[in-house]
Amino acid sequence: MPKIIIDGKEVECRAGISVLQAALDAGWNIPHYCYHPGLKVVASCRLCLMEMKMPHPQTREPGWAPKLFPACQTPVRKGMEVRFDSDKVRENQKHVMEYYLLDHPLDCPVCDKAGECHLQDYSEQFGNATSRMVEDKHKNPKKDIGSHTLMYSDRCVLCTRCIRFCDEIAGTGELRKVNRGSRNEIDIFPGEPLENELQGNVVDLCPVGSLISKDFQYKQRVWMLNTARSVSPADSRGSTIWIDYNKQGVHRIRSRYNPQVNEWWISDEARFGWKYINSDKRLNTARIRRGVSWEAVGWEELPGILRDRFASADENATAAVLSPMMSCEEAWLLAKFIRQVAPRATLVRGYVPIEGEDKTFPKGFVIKAEKCPNRGGVEQIIAHFGGNSMDFDEFVKAAGAGRFKAAYVVGGYPKEWITEAHARAISKIEILVAHDLFPSLLDQHVAVQIPTASFAEREGSFVNCDGLLQPFERAISPLEGVKADGQFFHELAGEPGLFRAEKFRVSVAGELEMFAKVHVPPDEPKYAH
Amino acid sequence: MSWETIDRTTVAEEKLGPGLSAAAREKIRTFFPRYPSKRAAMLPALHIAQDEIGYCSLRAMRDIAELLEVPPSAVMDVVTFYTQFWTHPRGKKVITVCRSLSCELMGGKEVLAALKEKLGIDEHQTTPDGKYSLVTEECLASCDHGPCMQINEKTHKCVRVEDLDRILSDPDNDKISMPRSDIFDAPQKT
Ligand code: SF4
Ligand code: FES
Ligand code: FES
Repeated sequence: MPKIIIDGKEVECRAGISVLQAALDAGWNIPHYCYHPGLKVVASCRLCLMEMKMPHPQTREPGWAPKLFPACQTPVRKGMEVRFDSDKVRENQKHVMEYYLLDHPLDCPVCDKAGECHLQDYSEQFGNATSRMVEDKHKNPKKDIGSHTLMYSDRCVLCTRCIRFCDEIAGTGELRKVNRGSRNEIDIFPGEPLENELQGNVVDLCPVGSLISKDFQYKQRVWMLNTARSVSPADSRGSTIWIDYNKQGVHRIRSRYNPQVNEWWISDEARFGWKYINSDKRLNTARIRRGVSWEAVGWEELPGILRDRFASADENATAAVLSPMMSCEEAWLLAKFIRQVAPRATLVRGYVPIEGEDKTFPKGFVIKAEKCPNRGGVEQIIAHFGGNSMDFDEFVKAAGAGRFKAAYVVGGYPKEWITEAHARAISKIEILVAHDLFPSLLDQHVAVQIPTASFAEREGSFVNCDGLLQPFERAISPLEGVKADGQFFHELAGEPGLFRAEKFRVSVAGELEMFAKVHVPPDEPKYAH
Repeated sequence: MSWETIDRTTVAEEKLGPGLSAAAREKIRTFFPRYPSKRAAMLPALHIAQDEIGYCSLRAMRDIAELLEVPPSAVMDVVTFYTQFWTHPRGKKVITVCRSLSCELMGGKEVLAALKEKLGIDEHQTTPDGKYSLVTEECLASCDHGPCMQINEKTHKCVRVEDLDRILSDPDNDKISMPRSDIFDAPQKT
């Protein structure tokens, strides 16, 4: 751990990083555009320049070198001394910011980046309020460059982060700089759109409002949004995400830094694939079948009804299907409930959706073929509870053979998952409880139907493909008529009080070790981006 | 102008222009052994394309990208960086007038104005008969003989307005007496 001196203060830092990273880690607010810890260093934006102490070439006397150095490109060295708090550095920042604003359209009122734009922030913190530019600015039309992305050339600061992302992380290289000098702009080759499965990341990466997500454009001003720490349910990778939401619901999903899993990136699937939570097809009433019609039941009555029903069935012919879309807490509580009412009940690992094959990108980012977030957690819980267990295919087969009389089946998948063959087999179960997100082929056979809340409406934890247990927060309240699954299972299992995922994890940590090893990724330094 | 949108994701077939011939591709391949990587042959490849087609068409850029195993955008990056590469058809002869300091002081502006009038075209345009295109460029590196202009690769020095008719009517006004370097034309095979 080398120690360096920044602005007269001694700072301990990781070896091998740049001075800029060290300063950001230690809480300095150093303006930077081109530097991104996940991408190669180009040192082209010239905002992070600093003063450095060096030995005088003749006298060997250490002193401040007359020229400025890019902090992003200077590796830390033991005992080095640098400073940002100097007139020379501030002067440079001011001039560079003035250059950046020469052609900038100042269309912040209609720009979606406003409020989280580093051109706005840095102009205020390091720039000038007025421009001396009297010539006309370049004005360009915006460009449609991909299915999710728009490009506003006139807002661009040419940091080339987006280019480096497409080259290094996605490995597809769709974006490039074209033309030169003041006409330099980012572009795609005509007819070769930005279509990699990680394209949404360039919008997160862009320090200004140049790359805009079509999906989020003109939807919300960012200062109207709250944000929740969540984990993407899109695949078993367990990418950590921010859910940006407000009273009107979820508006956007961004990647959340997680050095052990997804680093700074998420797939487009995780970013844009959450719209199903707003679907008007979602189930929103708990109901019981009465002959050919349904009867709605109150959430308070449900636990009693379910207990009675399952108690009346043969305990050897009872099963609970724990979906890998459930959180660990929910799966635990449901397993607990079913074993309370039927100690010999079978625990079934729910249906695991697989789409294609794992896709690995050049620097190691992976999109998993397994499209559920918590197979690992559910399996560990089933193993912990012991007794009878099987996987979903075996369950379907056994149900078809008439092995089960009562079953609690949890779904929660964004896509249709019950096939006709499944439905035919499962329909043999007399007391069938389906807890799902959407109507399915099972509906005509179920005795009790319970709507589930989406991932944004729940809190809990998922165990990803590498066995990391990662907690996620609730962003919004469940759809009207729906109860958060955690709370419901809490009541169902007869636990007292309110369900709080964290408290719950602590309380069962002694029983199942996995709940004690919670992986919470560190936050990025405040001024890093 | 950001209220207008241009669609870059699709391109009309006729905008692609002609592609590279098999001979041109072969010629580009002969450059590969000279460099540590295929992409390093970018500039010779573009010259070959421009020599064959007259400009660097989108289709030719795509062909080169395929040969050099780089994304087509990387070829476009290089093409648009150098003003010597054309992205649209040009006349048989390109007249490049110097617009830098020495030439301008010696009357470059007048030469340019007279040329525009004689050819009936503006900068970056091509005469209807396809004979001449007209552009300007920073210093042509003959400042001691300003005003200068180039017709294709031949540099005309100390050009006076009254010389223009003679120069334009000379069919050999673009022929250079010096042979082109054989490094470019005859790649050695290894
Ligand atoms: S579009 Fe954004 S990320 Fe790309 S170079 Fe411009 S400012 Fe940087
Ligand atoms: S030059 Fe250092 S961050 Fe851009
Ligand atoms: S200024 Fe014209 S050749 Fe240099």
